[in-house]
Amino acid sequence: MKADKQTIRQQLEDLLPLVDFDSNFLFSELDSLGVTTILMTLSAEYGIELEAVDATPKNLMSLDSIVQMVDRKLAEKDV
Amino acid sequence: MKTLEDYLRDDAAIYPDKVAVICGETSLTYAELYRQVEQKAAELRSQGMGKGSAWVMRSSQDIDFLVSYFAIHLIGGTAVPLERNTPQPRFDEISRQVAASVIPEGTADILFTTGTTGRSKGVMISHRTIIADAENLIDGQGFSHDLLFLICGPLNHIGSLSKIFPVVLLGATLYLMEGMKDLETFFKAMDYPVQKVATFMVPASIRILLQLGNKRLARYVDKVDFLEAGGAPLPHADMLALCKALPKSRLYNTYASTETGIICTYNYNDGRCMPGCLGRPMRHSKVFITDDGHVACQGPTLMTGYVGDEEKTREVLHDGTVVMADNGEIDSEGMLHLTGRDDDVINIGGYKIAPSEVEDAAFSFPSVKDCICICGNHPVLGNILKLLVVLDEGVVLDKRALARFIADRLESYKVPQAFEQVTAVQRTYNGKIDRKYYRLR
Repeated sequence: MKADKQTIRQQLEDLLPLVDFDSNFLFSELDSLGVTTILMTLSAEYGIELEAVDATPKNLMSLDSIVQMVDRKLAEKDV
Repeated sequence: MKTLEDYLRDDAAIYPDKVAVICGETSLTYAELYRQVEQKAAELRSQGMGKGSAWVMRSSQDIDFLVSYFAIHLIGGTAVPLERNTPQPRFDEISRQVAASVIPEGTADILFTTGTTGRSKGVMISHRTIIADAENLIDGQGFSHDLLFLICGPLNHIGSLSKIFPVVLLGATLYLMEGMKDLETFFKAMDYPVQKVATFMVPASIRILLQLGNKRLARYVDKVDFLEAGGAPLPHADMLALCKALPKSRLYNTYASTETGIICTYNYNDGRCMPGCLGRPMRHSKVFITDDGHVACQGPTLMTGYVGDEEKTREVLHDGTVVMADNGEIDSEGMLHLTGRDDDVINIGGYKIAPSEVEDAAFSFPSVKDCICICGNHPVLGNILKLLVVLDEGVVLDKRALARFIADRLESYKVPQAFEQVTAVQRTYNGKIDRKYYRLR
């Protein structure tokens, strides 16, 4: 299973209408609820375990880095 | 009467080398903190501020804010901390409102909160109230000199701001951090080398902690002295989860508001974990239920009134009693239980929001014909603001544009998180929005 960028974008934009998901400085735009919303939504949607340690500026730098994080977690799950 | 700043000066004299506050990589001892406060006070005086001055400022969760807050008090002025993202027009409006009002002597702070019917109101809090809140918290929750208290919420809100008070009275230590965005920072704060830590969180932050940090929390089972939830009711499932995660800690649900101060508290880690229970009144407070079922509070933690609005003040505060919009009951053990509220105010993460204010902002958005702001439910976030909008025919809702439009006009916590385009908004026979219809849906 691979994460689909467009699907993730739609899901997250729907929940966080004020956030610009085209930004490459996404983490700095997010507040704590934004970070949690992203992690918890993706965790529920893809059945992956996301925790506090995953809420890093690197993982949440851009939509691409979010997709990569999901892909990585999915790959770990498949192992 | 001693003020908070008198206690701060005493702390600097008695425990000069004790760490007073930590924020990021910076920490200040009580001696250093008081010196900075004195310097800032001198700076403010040189700018012409002094007794009777009110300083409207955006609150930040850092040492600069703390120093400014104490300094304005020290020169006999009033602190007016606003939400850090307050848009400029709103900031100017509040500044004008404060400047045009008579501020009674002894007013320490003016905290802006949503009234029951619309515009935000400035709640005046006296120096005496600050000390009474501090003593209530010390007695009611067991704040102590050796405690490290983590503040992760906004300091323009009574929930977080009030925790500074007992910490200063006792010469304990504050750890300031910016929200719960980065839980690693939160856990780093928890790792600070002390025996006891405590914190205050709104339900949304507790949800974050439980969802994303539950495993890590287990490491601090012996260190968390207490954790207080406030601002909005904590879901029972989260109360139970916290009892399980922190079996040795005191876990409090508190009844407090800007108008009443800190009133009641209940340690729900008592084996019963009663939902909706807010406990007994604290040392300085009295609570009773009015004949029509409302919660009424008395004691020195009450506000002085709303700034520049005697009429509104009289509606809420008379005979030394603040009557709340909350409905409640007092059980046979003298504990307060909330049963609901009978106004339109929506509580999101401790911020009370009048839906009409959000609707007023949305109405100026091009093509909005009608709208209603309601309390929605989100599987992750719990209570959220939701805006139902009717648009001109053929227009499709651009959620993001509308959200940004509202964000340019109101504080960020008043911006709805969910939007839905509808064909009509339910109204009563006389044309008013039928809020009851949406509450009962």
